Amino acid sequence: MTKNKIYQYLLLVLMILVISLSFLPKIALDPKSFFEFPLIPGLEDKARIIFFHVPTALITVIAYLISMAYGIKFLRKNNMEDDIKSVSAASLGLMFCILATITGSVWAKFNWGSFWHWDPRETSIFILLLIYGAYFALRSAIENPEKRAKLSSVYSIIAFLTTPFFIFIMPRMMIGLHPGSLEIDAQSGQIVKSANTVIEFKMAPNMRVVFFLSMFTFTMLYFWMWNLTSRFLILKNKISSSKE
Amino acid sequence: MESLYKFFENNSLYIVLVINLLIWFGIFFFMQRVEKKLTKLEKEIKSE
Repeated sequence: MTKNKIYQYLLLVLMILVISLSFLPKIALDPKSFFEFPLIPGLEDKARIIFFHVPTALITVIAYLISMAYGIKFLRKNNMEDDIKSVSAASLGLMFCILATITGSVWAKFNWGSFWHWDPRETSIFILLLIYGAYFALRSAIENPEKRAKLSSVYSIIAFLTTPFFIFIMPRMMIGLHPGSLEIDAQSGQIVKSANTVIEFKMAPNMRVVFFLSMFTFTMLYFWMWNLTSRFLILKNKISSSKE
Repeated sequence: MESLYKFFENNSLYIVLVINLLIWFGIFFFMQRVEKKLTKLEKEIKSE
């Protein structure tokens, strides 16, 4: 069995584990074992969505980072393969961005009342959709392959410079619905930092295991998808250039 | 069989689990098929 097949079957097993571990543990008021998640009033069983919704957002950031990295690589070495890898990373990133928006919207309907609130995190993921939609609009507007590659590499660098701000910083600076945003304290009426910050991450330990495992597994899945799409586009490029 | 149906009727969350696993198997074996076809094509192009 080749090394790649081992990784693929490891991914299969890990994802089966993640999916099972997100649905099998029961939700209990007073969790006593590993297989009991704490009851969060208002969330109850819907809390399990977190194991699927957050990884899509994480993969978006990772994919956009890789798109920037290969954009920089193309600008340094002028190898068309790097541009192809950059596009395929950006297109997968856009797909996961759409998935994060839709899964978040559906969850918001059942937990916060409506499909869209212009909550800071919702707004920032929407802006990211626009930014990377514009990336593809830019690409389709340029005929010459080298010029297209150069311009989209530069754009991918600028676009990723905004991404960490939108995903990690802005939602924590503003009042919002997502955990981690600022809240208005019920008693004093003051704007306070949420109880659930990045550093004092307050997820139950058994949920945390499944959460990080899920993020790792989705990252593995992303890298396989990126590998397949890149190889396909490179092959297509080779065939069409050999036909000319 | 009947007791299995009764179990799923009373614990519907596990229907979601089964569907989720089925979707994952579908995605995974589709991707493996794509990988096989890609490597075959790459070898063919390389040998030309």
